[in-house]
This record gives sequence, structure tokens and C-alpha cells, in this order.
Amino acid sequence: MSPDNLDIQNSLDKDLIASVTDLKVYFESKQGMVHSVDGVSFDIVDGEMMGLVGETGCGKSVTARTFMQLVQSPPGMLAGGNIKFRSKNIKNGSQVIDLLDLSENQIRELRGERIAMIFQDPGKALNPGLTIRTQVAEVFQEHRENDVLEEAGLKNKLTGVTEYFVKKYIKQEAGFLVTTLFKIPPLSTYKKKIDSGINRLVAEALEETQIPNPTKVMERYPHELSGGMKQRVMIAQAIACNPDLLIADEPTTALDVTVQARVLDLIKELQKRHKTSVLYISHDLSLVRRICDRIAVMYAGQIVETGDAETIFNQPKHPYTQGLINALPSMSHERGKLEAIEGIVPELIEPEPGCRFVSRCMRRKANCEEIDPKLKPISEVNKSHKVACLLYEA
Amino acid sequence: MSNSKNTILSLRNVKKHFPIKEGVFQNVVGQVHAVDGVSFDIGAGETVGLVGESGCGKTTIGRCVSGLEPLTDGDIFFDLTPEKLVALEDFEKHQSEIKNKYLIDEIQSTSNISKIEGDDFYNYRRNCQMVFQDSFSSLSPRQLVSDIVSRPLKIHKVCADNELIPRTIELLEQVGLGKQHLYRFPHQFSGGQRQRISIARALALDPKLIVLDEPTSALDVSVQAQILNLLHDLQKQRGLSYLFITHNLSVIRHMADKIVVMYLGKVVEAGKTEDIFANPQHPYTKALLAASPDLSEDVMSDMAALDGPIPDPARPPQGCSFRTRCPVSRTECGWEVDDIIRRLEHHETLIDSIKSVHQPDAFNAKLTFETSLSAIELKDVVGTKDIPKQMRKAIKKIEVKGNDVNISFDPVQTVPLVQSENGSLSRCVLANK
Amino acid sequence: MKKNAQNAGIDEVNFYDSAFNVRLKRNLEILSNVLANPTTVLGLIIVILMLAMAIFAPVITEPNTPDPYQMPRDWKAARSAPLTPGHILGTTNRGGDVFYGVVWGARTSLKLSILVVSLTVVLGVIIGSVAGIVGGKVDEILMRIVDVFLSIPELIFALAIAAILGPSFTNIILALVIVFWVKYARIMRAQVIRIKQREYVDAAKIMGASKLQIYLKDILPNSFSPVMVQATLDMGNIVLVGATLSFIGLSEAGIAEWGVLVSEGQAGISAGRWWASTFPGLMVFLWALAFNLVGDGLRDVLDPRTETKR
Repeated sequence: MSPDNLDIQNSLDKDLIASVTDLKVYFESKQGMVHSVDGVSFDIVDGEMMGLVGETGCGKSVTARTFMQLVQSPPGMLAGGNIKFRSKNIKNGSQVIDLLDLSENQIRELRGERIAMIFQDPGKALNPGLTIRTQVAEVFQEHRENDVLEEAGLKNKLTGVTEYFVKKYIKQEAGFLVTTLFKIPPLSTYKKKIDSGINRLVAEALEETQIPNPTKVMERYPHELSGGMKQRVMIAQAIACNPDLLIADEPTTALDVTVQARVLDLIKELQKRHKTSVLYISHDLSLVRRICDRIAVMYAGQIVETGDAETIFNQPKHPYTQGLINALPSMSHERGKLEAIEGIVPELIEPEPGCRFVSRCMRRKANCEEIDPKLKPISEVNKSHKVACLLYEA
Repeated sequence: MSNSKNTILSLRNVKKHFPIKEGVFQNVVGQVHAVDGVSFDIGAGETVGLVGESGCGKTTIGRCVSGLEPLTDGDIFFDLTPEKLVALEDFEKHQSEIKNKYLIDEIQSTSNISKIEGDDFYNYRRNCQMVFQDSFSSLSPRQLVSDIVSRPLKIHKVCADNELIPRTIELLEQVGLGKQHLYRFPHQFSGGQRQRISIARALALDPKLIVLDEPTSALDVSVQAQILNLLHDLQKQRGLSYLFITHNLSVIRHMADKIVVMYLGKVVEAGKTEDIFANPQHPYTKALLAASPDLSEDVMSDMAALDGPIPDPARPPQGCSFRTRCPVSRTECGWEVDDIIRRLEHHETLIDSIKSVHQPDAFNAKLTFETSLSAIELKDVVGTKDIPKQMRKAIKKIEVKGNDVNISFDPVQTVPLVQSENGSLSRCVLANK
Repeated sequence: MKKNAQNAGIDEVNFYDSAFNVRLKRNLEILSNVLANPTTVLGLIIVILMLAMAIFAPVITEPNTPDPYQMPRDWKAARSAPLTPGHILGTTNRGGDVFYGVVWGARTSLKLSILVVSLTVVLGVIIGSVAGIVGGKVDEILMRIVDVFLSIPELIFALAIAAILGPSFTNIILALVIVFWVKYARIMRAQVIRIKQREYVDAAKIMGASKLQIYLKDILPNSFSPVMVQATLDMGNIVLVGATLSFIGLSEAGIAEWGVLVSEGQAGISAGRWWASTFPGLMVFLWALAFNLVGDGLRDVLDPRTETKR
């Protein structure tokens, strides 16, 4: 994150918060290299909600995880591309960095601080053995020691060794000896102040996600909360540091529709209030249409179409997007006459060139099996609507 | 009800309670009312959609119908002729004067699946099959497709051993698979294909009714469409009846002839699919519709946003069970003392200071606090916005006596299912007027 | 394109009657996965060598008459060092041939472990299945009994039982069975409870399958792999515990058994006669090691988490 990262290569359009270029993530398997993400490019405009839609195994979650370098390696491997990200760190001013170039330590500083993530299953993402307080507090302790100090009323009041130890203590980096020291006077008074400071910060964060009675919920364990409540805790944890980018990986899939409505409501509201950019990942096209500004549709490791939410939904161009929308059960279809996309998703083991959708496509042409379609604007007029299909290549 | 078709399945006031056990001796400390008095009919060749959110009891009904769970109370009748149905309804209305005693006896001894045993029940097995949500878990990982699909044929000795394989291939072909899939293990298939294998297995005994428990919830939209088409085609060819359990309203709108909406173990609305989608009566149905992104223009509308606590199914509320989250609740919804306590989530210190609750019935209670201050505080809180306005109005009396607070509500009967203008049944005080 | 070719191939083959082939192929696949791990292969090689030694014992050394399981005594050559003509690994204090003991000891050990493992597996699987399927109070009672057994350390428990029953090889088998069945009961119960909640069991019930059919076709095959892994590990452990019991003198004296031999040679170690104890001791070690290696390899392949999903 040093300023020398700021070279010409790392320039980014002013209105963008992140830009993915030709991202390739492969997985090793016995049968060969699985091209899970194979040349994905898209931008996230600052302050917008971007939807990444696709079916099981299309690579949408892998793409999201790559932002945080969360892909296990091995078997995963980065085969190319970059993700440029504008980190609006208040201290250093904003700067553009390549997320894939960062070392383990650098990315850890960014995780939870500038980029946060919420997962599909909050039950699995929260540690069952720790209280909600401990888990939300970790974010503050890791990234916001100054806020903690301020909240504890200790800012600019400490010097020398004490300050050093207190900071260590907040960051939970203190060893056994120092931790013990904090249990006896005079340091124990600091401990009390710090703990109550953290409590206030956690309560505030929980309050913001409309959790009733945050001071009580704080002391509970994840299994004592309902699914919707756990997802709120996850959101509280994610937005605690006011990140620039929030990655939401199917955050409502495990929830009931009425609870889902409330959680979506909350994400949307927080996004507006904090001007956070959101990358919203889902398999549900109609859901994404409702809440996102723009959508990118993925199929078999590639983006096949991208554009405004309404455009994609009302004037889909790619045969896959069209198929996906038509496959939704609706009143306009006679029963038993849903337009299913026949066939199955191709294996992504060392795929050969050509359109990935060709085996299921109703409108394929002779050369679809040979030529790799490129993601190109559909017309001169609407540059933002891009599609990767030979039908539209003049 | 004077159509000529048989009624394949008729649920009458079905109840299923699960005991809550505690301690080394497994003492029963309570009952979870998973299904609490559910009635509906499924006609021959008809699809009935059972809709509701997790924990509403829809899966339990599926398991009761397929004979996996014994009923706590109520009856499930199978394959009633129109005369039998009429006789049964007659019998239920006028218990005392039984006109067709022999017919009722016959129904009870041959069609009541909660009473029949032995061979009769074995026969019912052939006629009611089930398809599960999770095709990973519903197909044994160690059996070949040929074993899985032919197993019901073997158990019921439907055909000779040398006919087993041709019959199995026939079944596989009906669900869009082929003989090349015969000798493979389930894990070698995709989710959609595994669900086809499940369907083939369910078809093997040529049943009249198939219980579909969220058959497409684990599938992608494009594959879901394939399976829904397949289910429809099979129904047409074989005259099957479906009990289609799902939480997905757009799927159910597409598939079902009739819909039953459940909430907390009870039916809140039931009727023809078109009627319910065109003109939902119950606020819960309205909320579900509003919250479904593929049906509603605005999933974030107020109607979709349900606040308030979900009551504990071990202590189901009197009156309307939806009132605690209902955006249009009224004074006559059957508010009770528990509602005050449920609503106190913002005032946990107050709850903590409750020493004892003396509750002769759901509508009257004496709360004893540790201090008289808390008692006064409770009365104040009840006056604030934390308590819904309609609920406040429903309170008949609230008085503070030292450390005690006496609260009483107007007692309200359980809200009945009543016919609304469009012909569907709805359990709501608004519809009663 | 490759994929299509494969599918076409499947269509062309006449697949009638090939269920056997498919199963065989799958088992071979599992085997090849097991063999992919070099330490497992090492373990397997040692196991095979040991088994060969046990099976061909009468060919390798001339059986002692009348009872081949008794050590032959060559009093004249007592205390010979290894590489003495006729006694390649030396002899014990009482003229027993160490090589004979090592070879026939493999037979004794094989007998011991196979007997004990098969008896404990049967007993444990039955009791565990009953507890898991019946549930409720029966389960509660059976599991408390299991807890009592598990609360006493294996070796001490076996020792106590063998001591009560009196020193004999049969009693060692008995003692080991009493001690080792509990593990299987536990594993089996946990597995049965897990598997019985699977929807394929519900599906079988809906088909009308009888309880016995469901148990035999659905529950048992799907819950057996952890039992198998444990059994393989115990093939080694039992010889280890058995040898310990023999070493303390709870077996019959003079029998060709590794533990007995170690015990017999022990007195000579201080006088520099290391061989009488070392070779049988090494055999016990190798036997236990080999089965543990194979068991670990099996565990990796048969792990229930990896088998249902690809």
C-alpha cells in the first residue's frame, strides 16, 4: 500500500471504485485444469450496486473471493488478470492498488477495512464459540484502534510505554504477560475504559443494522439468534469500518422471503447512507434486477452480458440471458411449457475455444464452435450494454 | 363439491405435535405445535400447492401424508368417491344423526390412512410416493441407478425378475434419461438429473399421488424449468395428483390448481390459484407476494416488510397467529398477555425484573416485579409506540398495585377460516366482516 | 468435443448385466486411491509379507510336533547368538528357536487379531445398531454401559479381566473382546443415527421397505466405512495389547507368541543376549505400524465427507 504502487499501470477511471480485467482463476483437479473464471472483466462504479448473476458453478463466487484473495491455493491458482481498486483510505488519501499484487499482510489490512464481505450462510461465517460482541469487536480492534481510544476517552492522553501497551492490547497482539498486567491496577482502569469503549462501538454498529436491544444481543452466541438476525450481525460486522466496497455473496438465499425483503432493505439503505459500493452476487436474476443498478451475467466462467439492470431484464441480447429470463415460471407461460434451457453446463476442464454456451444455444451459428466471442458494446448509442455473442458481431 | 372426480386425499383437522424432551429421563416438557388443525382436499389429477416460510409446518404435512409421521390428531382420507366425501362431510356436520353408517364405517376402515394397518397400508404405500428437495441426500450413494429405480418394483413384487430391467429403463426414459444411465452411481449426475432419478423412483409403483417437497429449490432456474415441465407432462399422461410443497410463489403459481398458505402450523388462506394471486385476502399472503422479487415490482414496499416477533410454536397464540407481525392488525385480532412480553425486546431490563407471572388464562395475568418502579415503568411502556396501537386499544384493563401489574384483554376466539368474496378461504378478522 | 465422444461411447456399449462391472470399477477406483499414498503402500507391503509369513509358516520352518504353536526346545543350543547354524536368529535361555517364534508368532498374532476383531465388530455393530435404531431409553442404557467401559484405560481393563480369568491364550482373546467392542458400538451408533436421518431412508420407508430391508440395504452399507477403518487400525492395536498381556505372563508359557518371547528373552538382555527379545519385539512394532498405516490410508479415502460429493 505504499505510494510507489501508484504507477501508470494502476490508473483507474475517476468514477470507478474497482475494475476487474481479464481475470483468470483455475483449479487443479485430477482430470486437468478447471477454468472456473476464464477472462472476466467488469467495472464497479463508485457508489453503485453491481449485480453479478449466474447459475451454480459459473464462477461468480470465485470471482468475489478473488477480491479478498480468499481462494485456496492450491488447488486454486491465479492464471492472469488484475483487479484494480481505489482505496479511499482517509489517512493516505485515495490511491489505486492492484488487489492481486498485495502481499498477505497488505490484503489483511484491507479486508474488513476497505473491502468487506458478507456470506450466504451466516451460521457458518460466524464463529459458534464466541459471543457476537467479540466477533464484531474484532473489526474495530483490528482496524480502528484510534476510534477505540477515542471512545474510551484515552485519545492523546497516553504516552510512551503505556500507549504502546494499550495499543497492543486493543489490537489483541499483547502476550500473556501484558494481558495479565491489564488485569491489575493501574492498567486495569484502562482495560475497563477500553472495554466499555468497544462495547459502545459494537452496540452502535449493531444498532445501525436495526437489531433490537443491541447491548443484550452482544452477549449472545450465534446459535441463539435467528437466521435473519445473524445476517444482520454479519452486515454490522462488514460495515463497521465503513468500507469502500461491500461484497455480498448471496446474502439472502438462506432466508425466508419476508426476512429477505427486510435484509435487502437494510443493505440498500446502508449503501445509500454510507455511499458504499456493493458487488451483489446472486443466482436470482429477478432479485438482482430489483436492487442493483447494473448487472453482469456470468456463464461457465465468463461474462456473457452486462448493462443496466432494466436493460438486461427488458432487452436481453445474449441467448443465455434470454433463456434465463424466459425460464422463470410466470403467468405468461402455459403450464408445462416453460422455456427451459435444455442440456447441462459444460465441464470447464481445459475448455476448447468457442462459445461456452454453444451446446445449449438455440440460435447458434456455424462458426460459434470455433470463435471465442468477445464482450463488446451492442451499439454505438448504448456503450454500457455489452454482450459476448457472435450474433451481434457485425 | 358435486364433481364426478374422486378426491385423492382429504386432510381433516390434521394435528401433529412434537414433544419437547429434556433431561436424562427424557421428560416431556412441552409440545411444538408443528401442524395445528389443517384441512384441505386434493382432487384426482389436481395439484395443490402448500406454501409458507420455514417452520410453518408444510414439510411436516408432507411427511404425515406420506406416512412417515403418525398424526397426533385428525384424519387423512385417501381416494374418496364423491358419495363418500358427501357422506363424510355430512357426518362431520351432524355427528349425532348418522345417515349412512355403513358408508362411514367403510371409509374409516379402508380409506383413513391414520387408522388402516397391514396390507391396506402397504397398498397405500403404492399409491403415495414422495420426491425430496435434496437429491444428494435422497439417493443412497452406494446404490446404482438401476437398484434405486427398481427397488420399489422389487419390494412390491410388481413384476418378474427378468422384467425388472426393461421396466426400469422404461421409467428412466419417461423422465428423460436412458438405459445408458442405468449402471451409474448418483454422484455421477448433475442436480437436475438426480432429481429426475428421484421422480422415476416415485413413478415406479404407478402411484395416484406424489408429494413433492421443494423438488426444485436446490436447482438452477434453467434446470428448474426442465423439471417443472417434466412434472407437468407426467401429470397429464398419468393423471397424477400432486401435493406440491414449496416456498417459491412463482413456481407454485405456475404449477398449482389450488393453493394452501400456511403460517405457524395453521392454514391462513386457501383457494384457487388465480383467485389468491389476483386478490389475496390474508395480510400474510399479501406480504409473501409483495416480498417475492419475481412477482412484485417493489420488494421493499411496506407490505413486504414484516416486523415483530414470530411466536414460539410451542406456545401458539390464541386468536390470529399472524397478528404479531401483521402490518394491518386490529384490536380484535386476539391480543394476549404474551404479546406484551414479546414486544418488550427493547426493554430487556424490564423483562429481567419480572419476578413471577400468574396467568389464569391467555388474556388475564398478574405480573409481579421486583420493584414498584418497574411495575410503573411497564405501564408507561405499554402506553408508548413500542406497543402497536391496535394492541394498546385491545387492553381492557391495566392497573398497578405495588409491585404487581394486573393486565387483562378481551378474550377472543380462534379466528376461523371463512369464505371471502372471491371464493377462497381466509383466516383473518378483516375477512370476517 | 472430448466429452461428446465419451458420451457416445457409453451409448454404444450394451449395458445390460454390467452392474457387476460398474461396481468392480468403482472398487478398483477406491483401491487405486488407496494405493496413491506411498505410506499406505508401504504399510500394505509389510502387511502382505506378514500374512505370507503366517500362512506359509509350516513351509518356512518345520512345524513342531505335536503342537506347532509350542516352541521347539533345543536345550543343547540354548542361548546361541544369531547366525548360529540351525538357529539363524539365535535361541532363547531355554533353547527356543527365535526364528521359529517369529514365524509362528505371526500365525498366533493373525489368529488373535482376526478372532478378536471379527468378534468385536459383530458385537459392537449389533449393539450400536440397536442403540441407534431403537433410541430412547434403550439407547440411553446401552450408552451408559459403553461409557463405563470407556472410562477404564484399555490396557488396564484387559489386564484385569485376563488376570481374573486366569492365564491362557483363550482368556486373552476373551479379555480383548470385552475391552474392544465398545468402540465399535459407539462408532456404529453415531453412524446409524446420522444415516437414519437421510432422506433415502425416508424414501425406502415410503416405498414400503421393511425395517430389516432398510437396515440391511440403506443403513448398514452407508455406515460401515468408519467401522472398517477402525477394524484395520485395531488389527494392529490388538496384537500390541495382546503382546503386552503375554509379556506380563497372562498367556500360556512356551507358546510361540511374540509377547511371550519378548518376556522370555528379557532376562538375558542385561547379559548381552539382546536377540531373544529384539526380534519378536520388532515384529510387534512392524505389525502394529503396518496396520495403522493401512488404516490411515483407508480413512483418507473412505472419509464420509468425501464420498457423497464429488
